[in-house]
Amino acid sequence: MSSTAVPADSKKVRNRIFIALGTIIIIATYLYLVVGQPTDIAKSSFSQAGLIAIAGYVIGAILLAVGAIHRLPTATVAMVPVAIALNIVVGQLVSVIGIPVYLDSIGTILVSALAGPAAGVVTGILTNVIWGLTLSPIALPYAVVQVVIGVMAGYAARIGVFRLFYLAPIAGAITGLVCAIVSAPISAFVFGGATGGGTGAIVGAFQAMGQSLLGATTLQGLMSDPLDKAITFTIVVLILAALPSRFRNRFPFVREYHVFGRKNQALPTLPAPAQKTADAVAADVADATDKK
Amino acid sequence: MPTSLFDNRKSVIHRLNPVTKLVALLAIIVIVFAIPVWWVSAIVLVVVIVPAAVISGSGGRLLSLSLKILIPILLVLFIVQGLTFPGGETILWRWGVLKLTTEGLLFALGVGSRIIVLILASILLVLTTHPGQLMSALSEHGMSPKFAYIISSTLQLIPAFSDRANSILLAQQARGLSLKGSPFRRIKVMLPLLSPLVLGMFTDVEERSTAMEARAFGSPAKRTSLIPVPDTTLQRVLRWVFVALALGAIATPILMGIL
Repeated sequence: MSSTAVPADSKKVRNRIFIALGTIIIIATYLYLVVGQPTDIAKSSFSQAGLIAIAGYVIGAILLAVGAIHRLPTATVAMVPVAIALNIVVGQLVSVIGIPVYLDSIGTILVSALAGPAAGVVTGILTNVIWGLTLSPIALPYAVVQVVIGVMAGYAARIGVFRLFYLAPIAGAITGLVCAIVSAPISAFVFGGATGGGTGAIVGAFQAMGQSLLGATTLQGLMSDPLDKAITFTIVVLILAALPSRFRNRFPFVREYHVFGRKNQALPTLPAPAQKTADAVAADVADATDKK
Repeated sequence: MPTSLFDNRKSVIHRLNPVTKLVALLAIIVIVFAIPVWWVSAIVLVVVIVPAAVISGSGGRLLSLSLKILIPILLVLFIVQGLTFPGGETILWRWGVLKLTTEGLLFALGVGSRIIVLILASILLVLTTHPGQLMSALSEHGMSPKFAYIISSTLQLIPAFSDRANSILLAQQARGLSLKGSPFRRIKVMLPLLSPLVLGMFTDVEERSTAMEARAFGSPAKRTSLIPVPDTTLQRVLRWVFVALALGAIATPILMGIL
């Protein structure tokens, strides 16, 4: 990561080890559950697959969060609660409006794009921890999925996906693909494929067609996650375009990796009229209405 | 939207050190998932969770909250796995591709009993533990204060955020924004709601971080606690007993050779 984002900390090596160990544990958990014992696990509830799924993913996620949080400067730490609240409130709002997607990772992706993958990881994990502590304990075992979103969105921002708005849905779909694959063992071995009415019916349909339990939950995830993340990434790129470039360029991560292209870098105080979309205008009007 | 389910009472369970309760919750989850037979979950439920819920006095709220989460999950679980379980052989009833199998029902019973314990135990922890106290107790045990700040701060932010989102929604509706229409249209509707929400909330982050830095938030020095969370030797011993029980549960199936 950038030298500016790392506070002077004697525990730097320890944090690196935590991050490496967390990554290895998560990957090893998935490989053990999927490649190691492909058929026998799903045949009965008489196996420790559920324990391995929860323990491996939760321990891995916690190690990553502990390793990542020390890299964050105070300005980023102050931003994370806002992003988590955004995840939870929009996720809740979406269920009220009645759209068939989740949209519960807007804040995570926004923070990843502005402050890098480490910030995204912390935002993602704590979103599910807080969701688990307040509204629904089901969210807790899925914390690792938000880690994937944070990391992938952060590196997508690094390679410049958020410079062109039509690249964002592609990056989102790829992220959704990985999310579906990573979350499938939890849905299968912890919840038996039954995380909700609609998803449960799809899992049942795939099983009736001859899929294994893990195969069915993976296919179910592949049906919904890439679409959901493509939409979420698109929303984030539109929000980012609507934010004043003065605000965006406050972030060292944005300046270092030219997340929004080089032209804003040269003139950091220049407002970006080219990016003022109709939505942004509507937003400004709404903001004025709101402030009144 | 409620920010915390905490049920403020004065029972023994409420007064326990939050870390003790957290370790107990983790031990319970490890035990029921490590010995994957339904009657272990049933024993844990009857011997630990039900008495704890009764003593805490939050039993009623625990029941209503967890039923709301559990009923849909268990219903879907039994229908889907009972009828389409891939390993099903003993057919009780069939209709086309759907066949009700003993293996499927047993699988649903095994998974269902664990989910019941998982949900009940975690909701009981949330009901009997104030989030702020949990955070200070965990900080005393060496958790980074940044985690405590983020979690506590989010819990305070969510109601403010919700209010703001609602007022933006009302303002946009007053300007003629329609929430009806196709799913795609409704996603487009989200944008004029989100941009002002995000802009508004992120603008005060800068001032907040300056204020925090002025109070040495980023300092790596060890903090002392303003309000120490009470802890007893008995609870310290208990926590190690819970850890030992969990480790024993992991070893049992391997030693007994049932896997």
